Amino acid sequence: METELRNAIRKLLEEKTVDVAIGYGRVGVGGAVGAVFVTSPDEVDQLVWNNECRQNLAVHLTRPEIKALGKIAIVVKACDARAVVVLANESQIKREEIVVVGVVCEGVVKARFDGSNGEQFFEKCASCVEHAPKNVDVLIGDEAKAAELDAKNAPTAATSGNQAKLAKLRAMTSEERFQYWRGEFSRCVRCYACRQSCPLCYCNRCVADKNRPTRIETSASMKGVFAWNLLRAFHLAGRCVSCGSCAAACPAGIELDLLNLTLVNAAKEHFNYVAGEPGVPPLIGTYSLDDEEDFIR
Amino acid sequence: MAKIGVFTCWCGENIARHVDVEAVSEAISKLPGVACSMNYKYMCSEPGQSLISEKIKELGLTGVVVASCSPHMHLKTFRKTVELAGVNPYMVEMANIREQCSWVHSDKAVATAKAIELIGIAVAKVRRNAALQPIKVPVTKRAMVIGAGVAGIQAALDLAAGGVEVILVEREPSVGGKMAGLSETFPTLDCSQCILTPRMVEVGQHPNIKLMTYSEVEKVDGYVGNFKVTVRKKARYVDIAKCTGCGTCWNACPKKNKIPNSFDYNLGNRGAIYIPFPQAVPARPTIDADNCLRLQSMKKGKELCGICMKNCGSQAINFHDQDELVEFDVGAIVVATGYKLYSIGKEQENPNIKGYGEYGYGKYKDVIDSLQFERIISASGPTGGEPKRPSDGMTPKTVVFIQCTGSRDNAKGITYCSKICCMYTAKHTMLFKHKVHDGAAHVFYMDIRSGGKMYDEFVRRAIEQDGALYHRGRVSKIEEIKVDGVKKYRCYGADTLAGEPCVVDADLVVLACAMVPSDGVTKLAQKLSVGYNEYGFLSESHPKLRPVETNAAGVFVCGACQGPKDIPETVAQASAAAGKALIMLSQPYLTREPEIATVDEKLCAACGACVQTCPFKAITIEEIRDRKGNFIKNTSRVNPGLCMGCGTCVSVCPSKSVDLIGFTDDQVYAELESLLA
Amino acid sequence: MSSETTAGAGANSSAGFEPKIVAFVCNWCTYLGADLAGTNRLEYPANVRIIRLPCTGRIDFNLVVKAFEVGADAVLVSGCHPGDCHYTAGNFHARRRWKLFRELLDTVGIDTNRIYFSWISAAEGAKFQSLVTEIVEKTRAMGPYQDYRSLVAES
Repeated sequence: METELRNAIRKLLEEKTVDVAIGYGRVGVGGAVGAVFVTSPDEVDQLVWNNECRQNLAVHLTRPEIKALGKIAIVVKACDARAVVVLANESQIKREEIVVVGVVCEGVVKARFDGSNGEQFFEKCASCVEHAPKNVDVLIGDEAKAAELDAKNAPTAATSGNQAKLAKLRAMTSEERFQYWRGEFSRCVRCYACRQSCPLCYCNRCVADKNRPTRIETSASMKGVFAWNLLRAFHLAGRCVSCGSCAAACPAGIELDLLNLTLVNAAKEHFNYVAGEPGVPPLIGTYSLDDEEDFIR
Repeated sequence: MAKIGVFTCWCGENIARHVDVEAVSEAISKLPGVACSMNYKYMCSEPGQSLISEKIKELGLTGVVVASCSPHMHLKTFRKTVELAGVNPYMVEMANIREQCSWVHSDKAVATAKAIELIGIAVAKVRRNAALQPIKVPVTKRAMVIGAGVAGIQAALDLAAGGVEVILVEREPSVGGKMAGLSETFPTLDCSQCILTPRMVEVGQHPNIKLMTYSEVEKVDGYVGNFKVTVRKKARYVDIAKCTGCGTCWNACPKKNKIPNSFDYNLGNRGAIYIPFPQAVPARPTIDADNCLRLQSMKKGKELCGICMKNCGSQAINFHDQDELVEFDVGAIVVATGYKLYSIGKEQENPNIKGYGEYGYGKYKDVIDSLQFERIISASGPTGGEPKRPSDGMTPKTVVFIQCTGSRDNAKGITYCSKICCMYTAKHTMLFKHKVHDGAAHVFYMDIRSGGKMYDEFVRRAIEQDGALYHRGRVSKIEEIKVDGVKKYRCYGADTLAGEPCVVDADLVVLACAMVPSDGVTKLAQKLSVGYNEYGFLSESHPKLRPVETNAAGVFVCGACQGPKDIPETVAQASAAAGKALIMLSQPYLTREPEIATVDEKLCAACGACVQTCPFKAITIEEIRDRKGNFIKNTSRVNPGLCMGCGTCVSVCPSKSVDLIGFTDDQVYAELESLLA
Repeated sequence: MSSETTAGAGANSSAGFEPKIVAFVCNWCTYLGADLAGTNRLEYPANVRIIRLPCTGRIDFNLVVKAFEVGADAVLVSGCHPGDCHYTAGNFHARRRWKLFRELLDTVGIDTNRIYFSWISAAEGAKFQSLVTEIVEKTRAMGPYQDYRSLVAES
């Protein structure tokens, strides 16, 4: 698959279809997998494809310094592909100007703190039912295998992985949940790694960095971290594609993706809405006359 | 440095009885930024207002808080006060310590403490207020009226008389609407055409009115004072400038009297080239492309017929005519698209509404609706005013009128009263009896609703002088039967006053069907951003106080498109709409409240959330380019002519790059922070 | 927060705990409904502080968070009934956001029993009165929102 990927990218670069390809390479400390930006056909052998390709590279699509390189090809997994769709829906990229190279993904593993690879797959992968990326221009990998994996996970998708974790959390009392998050958030240092790693946190200036007024406390005080984490999660309502980058990036190991998953589930359950479908208007910003209002007096 | 003056009102005893105003003034005087804190018996009175302006002048106040009643009561008053004293009117806030405090809390200590907090909120806000200037929007002194029934005609004539150029758009080939097809009108029984046709001629000839018949609104851009409306002028195949209306063509048409005429609700026939009725304005024919032999043959590459063209002395016929898009700049739009009758058969466009299969409309030719009956008894109708039934031309002796067919029937899905049916049914019985003296007119009704000048008297006349037979009850079913070889329609009704079944064998049945908005009105409403209810009737801004305005600034409504109504009411409303539009168009600029949304274009990421969410389509994505024209970035931009200031955009903007002037985040967060005890 | 402390706070309620309620209301319906309660002299507890905004559409979720930060024990968000919005659709947009936001608050364990949403028209002075009375009574029974207060205290 790696060779196939390299060949595809080489062709795109050789034929000048694109000027730069964003893919995975062993660029980190101790050979950890991270983003590489390949601009010439000679460099394509830098590209790798394995279960360490955990980053969502779509985060680079909105960066002006990358846009400045010219026409872009990007390597995506299925969840990342949905992020690309959201970016196009929100007019952050012109979809027709980008070549999306999708790779069938069989799951990615978590990194250890020293940068080496753990054996453990991400929770999101356990409940993944979309192994082959959709809405891509080039698809690499075995679609039949992807369908097989989809089918294997489908029966337990709603109850496994992060869903299981969230269900366990939601089974607690409100008070217990509050104390749980209070403990988790107490480790938050407001480093904003979650924000930086998220392809959909692309604001020119985050509201958390604005004063006059200070809408959310800027320090890592308890009220500040609660407000920040609520805000970050809610800004992704109807947009989050569950790529898990935020949680993976969090140096404190806070399971931020559970907050996002709450909203992903709510969008599906109450509005039959799934983020990352082409041309679909945003969940927040539209309404239906029949929206539920059982909680309104 | 803020210098805020706080003026606490006693409101006579209304506030002072439950709020210790002295203690309030004292406490408030210690708040940061407060330069003076006073109280007075009636702040809204002349001496009260003078006190404010004296203090403004004496201390150089930069902002004012009046702690008194609801801002809905006196905010405008106090804005004026400070403006006269030289301070920007938007530098005033009110603390509502009457409705929200002294009137609802009787414990003086509690009420006083709350009043202090409420004023604290207002002080926190006013310190962050900005001096604002009303927004001036230029106005195009031209109006468009959509629909040329009696409502549109009236509105257009009034606007034209006010000196405004009017574009009158009508989708049918002639103006006149439903009224042109009516027989005589209640409660005077004067002939509909006699009163309407002079008005039709007038709109056709008025120098200020541009008539666009056989045309429809395609697209609406722009905003109040500055609309750009694209009108589709449908291919008519007749150049109405060249045509003299001589009639040679329609008399020569081989399809003459072979095509059902929709103006006669298909009871009469016309040709493929036709005028819908003799008094049509413009009195120029139209070719019905679906039925014209020539136009149909041209599709197959042939050129058949063409008799009309060959006979036309003024060479007005052009078989190659095409739809044309015409653009108009207008300042105001009056919507007068009228109504149609609800379709009685089972098939409905609206899935929530059910038909009356049990009445056999569509199956029995002699079960007709009230507008068809109007044509049958109209002197200009297909029978020349002789009451003849459609199936065999027999003069009906027994006619059954069924009211509330559709209206007020929850089971069928229309809950409202169509308002005019009681009156026109009474009229129908009279007109019928005047023509068929030995006839019987049976009316099945639910209630008789005849409110209006001379209306109830009219119904009494139908019953008492003309002998109409009224039965209070519904008809459950109609069946075709033969009596002595003659077709009859057995109506199984009830007379609930007598408490017994009431079965009538009728020669003709007339259904007073519910009025519904005419076809396509919801699509038009969407183009105009005008609201509509579940039935498609357009929504006025306020049912009592703004009855002809809509929530789309610059768009007005009149006539039956807003709700069922009769001719007098329609005409009155049309004049009202025209009057409102004239007021708007008579000013050099429109002044709008400056409390609208504004975008920080440097920081906006142009994600489009606000664009999607804005109920007024006031936000668009625009490009920012440098002086050389190089693209820099995209940004949202608010059109100040369209923004109504709801602030929904602010809530959906993740980076808060859009803010609502007058209710900025800076102000609102400060209000909240003032509550930190 | 231990259960003892919560119980202690509950006990506090009888000892003069006055809940602080922040109400975000729209200018055209609920604000006028509150005005009407006043005009009709419908008494209710004095614990509510109204923040007037043009429309429920303007009520950003973070304002609710901020209200808790400044010590609110309960929050009311109220506007026009569906179909009555002065701006035609602000309340519909708000309704959808609230539905989602409540789910998030629930997961985080912020007590959704302390956040009330209502439609109160300009004619519903009595509804304003009864709802505010109910909120104050319930909040009094629940005691101060210690959880959030302690977050703020830690800051």
